[in-house]
Amino acid sequence: MTSDQAPALEATELTVQYPSTDKAALNRVSMIVPSGAFYAVLGPNGSGKSTLLRALLGMVPSVGGETRVSGRAVSDWKRRDLAREVGVVAQAESLAFPLTVRDLVGMGRYPYLKPLQSETSTDRAAVKRAMERCDVWELGHRFVSTLSGGELQRARVARALAQEPRVLVLDEPTASLDIRHEMEILELLRSSADGGMTIFLITHHLDHAARFADRVLLLDRGSVAAEGAPREVLRESTLQEVYQWPVSVDDDPDTGILRVTPQSGSYRSLGSASSNRVR
Amino acid sequence: MRRATWAGVLFLALVGSFVLSIWLGSVELSPSEVIAALSGRGDPTNRLIVVQIRAPRAVLAILVGGGLALAGAVFQALLRNPLAEPYILGISGGAATGAVLALALGLVASHSWALPAASFAGAILAVVLVLRVALAADDRVDVRVLLLAGVVVGAFFAACIAFILSISDARTVRSAVLWMMGSLAGADWTTVATVALYTIPAAVLLTGLARPLNLMAIGEDTAGYLGTNVESVKRTAYVVASLLTAAGVAATGVIGFVGLIVPHGVRLVVGSDYRSLLPLSFLAGAVFLTLADVVARTVLSPTEIPIGVITAFVGVPLFLVLLRRSMGGGQR
Amino acid sequence: MWLARTRGHRDALASVLRLVRFVNSWSVSFLQLSTCALIVSHLACAGEAALPERDASQFPSDASLEAFPVEVVDDSGVRHRFQAPPTRIVSLVPSATQTLLAVGVGGRLVGRTDYDQLSELAALPSVGGGLQPNLEVLVSLEPDFVVRFEGESDQATADRLTDLGIPNFAIRPDGIDDVLSSIERLGLITDQRVAADALLAEIRGDLADVAARVEGRPRRRVVYLMGGEPPWVAGPGTYIDELVVSGGAVNVFDDLEGLYGPISLEELITREVDLVLVSDEGGSPDLIDVEHKSIPSWVEVPGPGLGEAAKLIARLIHPEAFP
Repeated sequence: MTSDQAPALEATELTVQYPSTDKAALNRVSMIVPSGAFYAVLGPNGSGKSTLLRALLGMVPSVGGETRVSGRAVSDWKRRDLAREVGVVAQAESLAFPLTVRDLVGMGRYPYLKPLQSETSTDRAAVKRAMERCDVWELGHRFVSTLSGGELQRARVARALAQEPRVLVLDEPTASLDIRHEMEILELLRSSADGGMTIFLITHHLDHAARFADRVLLLDRGSVAAEGAPREVLRESTLQEVYQWPVSVDDDPDTGILRVTPQSGSYRSLGSASSNRVR
Repeated sequence: MRRATWAGVLFLALVGSFVLSIWLGSVELSPSEVIAALSGRGDPTNRLIVVQIRAPRAVLAILVGGGLALAGAVFQALLRNPLAEPYILGISGGAATGAVLALALGLVASHSWALPAASFAGAILAVVLVLRVALAADDRVDVRVLLLAGVVVGAFFAACIAFILSISDARTVRSAVLWMMGSLAGADWTTVATVALYTIPAAVLLTGLARPLNLMAIGEDTAGYLGTNVESVKRTAYVVASLLTAAGVAATGVIGFVGLIVPHGVRLVVGSDYRSLLPLSFLAGAVFLTLADVVARTVLSPTEIPIGVITAFVGVPLFLVLLRRSMGGGQR
Repeated sequence: MWLARTRGHRDALASVLRLVRFVNSWSVSFLQLSTCALIVSHLACAGEAALPERDASQFPSDASLEAFPVEVVDDSGVRHRFQAPPTRIVSLVPSATQTLLAVGVGGRLVGRTDYDQLSELAALPSVGGGLQPNLEVLVSLEPDFVVRFEGESDQATADRLTDLGIPNFAIRPDGIDDVLSSIERLGLITDQRVAADALLAEIRGDLADVAARVEGRPRRRVVYLMGGEPPWVAGPGTYIDELVVSGGAVNVFDDLEGLYGPISLEELITREVDLVLVSDEGGSPDLIDVEHKSIPSWVEVPGPGLGEAAKLIARLIHPEAFP
């Protein structure tokens, strides 16, 4: 099996438990992200989505099971090589010292540079491309602390793209973006996926998953509730059980795209969502 | 590129400061006398003064000033805190306790190397203690705990010092206090060689860590995702920077402000890229301490002002000027 | 992520803690400095007040050099050999400086410390402090004999002096015996044995006189107060303690740890104190309701004024013995 066909990310019976907790954060989770797929990960707060991301990339130790990146066990990867393979946009980060946007994005090329080597023209071109795709090229000389939340988010996506990875992993990248920029990022991700890049997207937005993803993973309290094509996973009964809230799932009459709509519920009946559906 | 220009400027400043440092002193010497002394001719007393007293002192100032500034920059990245400086993790407390203990126990009376050895040992003890506390359950260095552990360990050592001094005689107390204020007076070529043995390899090693340190300043997770072996970098940087500081403190006592202000000053001028920040901080720290030492020696000659006083009095206003200029212009 | 939210708080906390620790460490230093400055000023202000002057012309110098070469052991155990009396002397120890003046070799001094404030020394260049002299100035004076402190403080200075080829002679200047021994040895080295012997005879005579006068008298309970909060007193092994004991009294705090130290006010009150001696500079005389007498500051410094000091103290303790 060549690495092009090996799954981009894979977990087998993965169990992760943080020290001084009594419940496992992830319990025997198995999932596969096919190469080139747009893979969305959904689940309520605390269901283990971020933990899964970190475990897949070897950032938290697991107590059971294994994870693989592009066919190799994650522990076999050297960090530098892994950084050329996988680009990550984590949920948030805080800068200790002032930095320009250009420098921030430039850090995406570090995995390609030796300790004291300066950027080459290849690196500069990669950075420029990434910044233009994320619409932050004009902001290059600005200091990061002066950016809006959305601008900073786009800069961070640009940094991940500058790594020229085969897999792009994002943890709620559209959190502070307006509709235009949100859609721009999602469409960028979609077109990257079409171009062969694997996208691993953690999101709260069920609609985004429905619309853009090829495959969806639904996590519930550390276990896999469902995995598969969006239509298979995003069923009313499944969603209601996992999210403990009444929803309705249908196709948008104009676009034909799968649509998830939360219903109004009542606090008294959280245990029995189905009986309180109001149309 | 700007980096090279600044390096050139600072290097020239360093040469200039060195020249000033061997020319000026409590005893007035003309430039020709200094040159004669350096080339082995001239009055033997002058030779003694220039070659055995002033020159080792100037070189020590370069090594210690550069080392402290470098260590300060590294700690600022490691702890992701602009207020970090080399003594923040209890090193000065440990070193001072070792020194004070050596003075109080009279060990210094018999062996002159007892004082630097004891202070170095005390510094290492502090480093080990803080590291032990900060190693979280899964064997990773938790940087937030590192900071708090350093403060607490430092406070503990300060209490030890106060206790020892409270039961010591006046001469011991005076010697101890003067040591804690820092001084380059004891510099001889042996000391210089010992400090150089630590400083030069450490400086080279830390400069090589510039990119990982850039990433650490953004966040450990991000650093890991961008290819850094975070744990290994943390430990190496922490241990090497601590040894660098300990070697300096053992030789000269506790000289403050250099490690805090110099990296910031350099940062305000050339930015936060550690590939420039580290070497330029070393050079700037070396210049700063050399000039401060000249002032300390000459202003109230023959009395020497403790050099920690000079670094504070000079360093703070200088830094404020730089800060204002950077906040007025440029974007922050 | 929760990390991001608390980071601002953590940085603020760290900043505050850092500031506290910084202030704390400096305040400890300053506290110690201010407290010990008091004591050091006592030790160091050797000649600021009027020292009973000794007329050096009373003691003609030895004309012959038959006594040389001499071998003398200093207080660090080093044996020194002198082919001829030194002619360029620097003394870093104030009591030794006074001794050198007393035996008539003031003209051979080429430098002084900042603590030597006697008028006849004022014209000499200063080498800074006695414990850590300015090496440049010292070297430039080209001395052939340097008297330095011997004690727990600083072997490094001694080593530096030796490395630089400056002959250094260690003196421990703490007690009565130290003074007598240093007078004898310095007299030997500077070829002023006649002067030194005369001085020693005078001092020993004074001490014997004092001993005779106070013999048999009830020992008064004395404390020597130096001021400060809490108050510092002189303990066993200090010069003052020896003078007090020789003057027919007992030092109430002869169980003190160390030479000088702080004591609590309660101790001062509960131990029965008969007489409080205070320095006439500083000191807080009104702590307890007991007879107070003040001592001129020159008395506290060991030196050739030893005999006068012993008499003065004995007179304060047993005024009836000195009609």
